[in-house]
Amino acid sequence: MRFLGWFKYRSPFGIAFMFQRITGLILVFYLCLHLAFLTSLQERELYEHFTSITVSKQFFIFDSLLILCGVFHGLNGIRIIIHEFGYAHEHRKAILVIFAVLILFAWLYGSYIMYMALGD
Amino acid sequence: MRGFEPLAWLFQVITGILMVFLITVHFLVTHSAHNLLSYESVIERLSRLDYRLFYALLLFVVSFHAFNGLRAVILDTEGGMRRKKLVNASVALVAVIMIAYGLFLLFKL
Amino acid sequence: MKFRIRRFDEKRGSYWQSFEVPVTTAMTVLDGLFYIRENLDSSLAFRASCRMGICGSCAVKINGRPRLACETQVSKFREVKIEPLDNFAVIKDLVTEFEGFFAKHKKVKPYLINPKADYENPVEQIQTPEGLKVYYDFSLCIKCGACHSVCPAAATLEGYLSPAALVSAYRFNADSRDHGKEERLKIVSAADGVWRCHSAMECSEVCPKQIEPAKAIQLLRVATLR
Repeated sequence: MRFLGWFKYRSPFGIAFMFQRITGLILVFYLCLHLAFLTSLQERELYEHFTSITVSKQFFIFDSLLILCGVFHGLNGIRIIIHEFGYAHEHRKAILVIFAVLILFAWLYGSYIMYMALGD
Repeated sequence: MRGFEPLAWLFQVITGILMVFLITVHFLVTHSAHNLLSYESVIERLSRLDYRLFYALLLFVVSFHAFNGLRAVILDTEGGMRRKKLVNASVALVAVIMIAYGLFLLFKL
Repeated sequence: MKFRIRRFDEKRGSYWQSFEVPVTTAMTVLDGLFYIRENLDSSLAFRASCRMGICGSCAVKINGRPRLACETQVSKFREVKIEPLDNFAVIKDLVTEFEGFFAKHKKVKPYLINPKADYENPVEQIQTPEGLKVYYDFSLCIKCGACHSVCPAAATLEGYLSPAALVSAYRFNADSRDHGKEERLKIVSAADGVWRCHSAMECSEVCPKQIEPAKAIQLLRVATLR
């Protein structure tokens, strides 16, 4: 099918584009889930039932992956914005590496903060 | 200007940059300590005007960026491109509904 | 050196065929293709002309990446796998249809537009070296089609104005002698123009003339805002 052409990467830039698209779609889906979650705030018991599942050590791995999606999409997005205004195309490899490192650190730090907040 | 696409792109960029900060703040507000996600904490935050304004801003920014992004992805397909007007109208409608619903929740709780 | 070529003809469809080609010093992939046609299988179809990287005819996918066959050394590889360019309809073997690609170029009016031109009393159009520098790199396009073959937008949307056409549009918009900027910006700002680019930058990675089509497209976007 033609739309699989989005996933025909060859270079790291093509891979970054592919993940930008995938994480974007995941985040849109998450947005809808999040609004459903917030709907449950209208009833205390329902909200606490949901949070007992999702705010837990067992669920942490999904939350960490979500942070990775968000951090990747946001920071890669900033990298794309820099290039979309016509800047630094000559240095695109170096910029990609710098942002890859930033994404890794932001993900690990965000996951750490979330993990520590789980407490218990 | 040449159609609304240049403006849509400009706002996609602006909302994207804004979101890097707003989402970081949102994440820290809800996860930097233990019981920030308890029912009491959430309701207490939502009763304050400054938080409500922050969340309303976040809702607008996120909804625009997400649905404009989704619109771009759909228009990238043959089927989407053939039905441009329908895609633009439907995505705009869903975004408006989402924003309206979010605001409704925000001011009801 | 083994040459594995993805061939095509209407009766058989797509199929792979291997050839054993003797390697000589500084041999290019194009040399190999000529050897095959002259000595092993005269039915092999491929395009070539200048043999020196200026005509853009011999762009093919070599070991997964589009390159000019005349500029690619065989000694780089252990085995040479050759396929026709992606995102183009294959006519036979390595020859693909290019009419659509050229039509996209024509669409962006790739010529100097000057409504005040008086051919009875011609006036020299002066341009400074700085004026040339602004668009010079983008004038080097040889229309080989490599950028179009790796672009994810071109892969999914038939009507997308390929990176090459958009480079051409920018080259003329940025030319100080041109007066057709508004016309071209309107054309490229249509839904199947610059807005389908999402900075995958595959085009900049494969351009044999190192033009950075992605940069031209982004500069066009910024121009639409003004």
